[in-house]
Amino acid sequence: MGSIISEFLKLKRSMSWSVVVLLPIIMVVAGSGSTIAVEGEFADGWHTLWVRSIGFYGMAILPVGIAILASLVWRVEHKNSNWNALMSRPVPTWQIVVGKIAAISILAAVMQIVLVAAVIALGKFLFGLPGMLPTDYLITSLLIIAAQVPVVAFQSALSTFARSFAAPVAIALVLTGASTMALLLKIPGVAMTPYALLTRTTQTGSATMLTGQGTSFDVSALTPDVVGVTIGLSAVLAVIVIAGTSIILNHTDTRT
Amino acid sequence: MATIVATENLSKRYGKRTVVEDLNLYIPEGEIYGFLGPNGSGKSTTMKMLLSLVQPSSGGVEIMGKPMDRSTRREHLGRIGSLIESPPGYGHLTGRENMRIIQRLLGLNDQQIEFAIATVRMQGQMDKKVRNYSLGMKQRLGIAMALAREPKLLILDEPTNGLDPAGIEEMRELLRTLADGGVTVMVSSHLLGEIDKSATMLGILSQGRMIFQGTRDELFSAATPDVLIRCDDPSRASELLANSADSRVDQGEVRVTELSERATAGVIAALVSERIAIYEVRRDEQTLEQVFMGLTEGGGL
Repeated sequence: MGSIISEFLKLKRSMSWSVVVLLPIIMVVAGSGSTIAVEGEFADGWHTLWVRSIGFYGMAILPVGIAILASLVWRVEHKNSNWNALMSRPVPTWQIVVGKIAAISILAAVMQIVLVAAVIALGKFLFGLPGMLPTDYLITSLLIIAAQVPVVAFQSALSTFARSFAAPVAIALVLTGASTMALLLKIPGVAMTPYALLTRTTQTGSATMLTGQGTSFDVSALTPDVVGVTIGLSAVLAVIVIAGTSIILNHTDTRT
Repeated sequence: MATIVATENLSKRYGKRTVVEDLNLYIPEGEIYGFLGPNGSGKSTTMKMLLSLVQPSSGGVEIMGKPMDRSTRREHLGRIGSLIESPPGYGHLTGRENMRIIQRLLGLNDQQIEFAIATVRMQGQMDKKVRNYSLGMKQRLGIAMALAREPKLLILDEPTNGLDPAGIEEMRELLRTLADGGVTVMVSSHLLGEIDKSATMLGILSQGRMIFQGTRDELFSAATPDVLIRCDDPSRASELLANSADSRVDQGEVRVTELSERATAGVIAALVSERIAIYEVRRDEQTLEQVFMGLTEGGGL
């Protein structure tokens, strides 16, 4: 618990908060703005607004955002001789790894909450949509928060071992592109990988109004099965990545 | 006296390059161990191996009688404070926030934190961001972070590096205070003068090998000081001794190197029989610096 609390203390005055707030707001404004500019309206009300907000974000931007957060959170450890200090304390390696992943996961969760808040604020006050954002999308958002964890864990691992800020972000971009492509090509088993799982989860429930519009891979409806599988798979993937990172980190020498 | 740190043939190789070779280091409990050597002689690598930050290529480390390796390190590290290379600290946070992270991480109480801050005399600086600290302040905060866990062993890598003379003196004083409080301190430096007076035990490293390890007194006796002879005719005296000893005239005196006590008696008898008037015979006073230079030259520096 100490290592999780201490990670939160490190987030004070961190640049990561501006990423968490700005990235989803920019994506929602861009997605809805372009819809209004091209189509002049939200044909299917809240559904259209949601899909336009989350579509590109989930397929390309979200993992990159998570990668930036992971790089920011690890960057402080690669500075000064914090790395030596980090590895010279009685805190077990796996707790160091879990502490970081918890911090990044919370940041990523807040990012999703900001996205939902931005969609609601724009829908209600700017576009004056009738009614409210369907609750299904709130449940989808909770699922997204769970499905982010394996990607967080993987990006955290990359930023643990890479001193570079940009390299893990570039890798996130490539892996996201590759897994979205694999989803489109319907390559079997791809949905079991962290990036594809996250991308797929972001589009969950969007199928109700989509017919070949916006997304063209199989989009799951929001069913109890999907909820269970998403959460279970997220947990398994996260544990695998955490265990792997801890073992490798424990055997790695500090740079000389 | 109990040994707190011992290594057995500790070696580190990177490919064909040997950085540390067959080090048998021992640190008795309660001492200030001065770990000396020129830059690049393997001091930092050795200290990192003691902390298991770097795994040895061969040989091993024992701390408090138990092996120190990747499986036991976290258990040991609760009793070892360290500062390796540059001082740690999160620049975007204040000194106090940095200490709070340590407190949460190690489950320490407020007294332990306050004591550590007071020991390095940083009470007045805790609300400043670490980014705005001077190097000396960063060093002191780093030491406070290492001290808060109340370690039995403190490993400090070049803590005086980059400090001004006042800062160096303050660091010396701090080391003595800690040692008086029962903490064993291992402190490295490439500048002998910086730890000369505070160290009670010395280890001298050159090109990855230990060329001397022992007390200050042992170090002085390991290198026999020159014999200086003041007499009425130094140049003739030096010539007379040229065959039997390594002698030369130095500032109006005859300087004879590597002379045992027995040989000294012989030299004096020889000079007296040649009717040279001897006014004074004494051993040169060596500074630790000279001994150190002599040893590292011998080590092929």
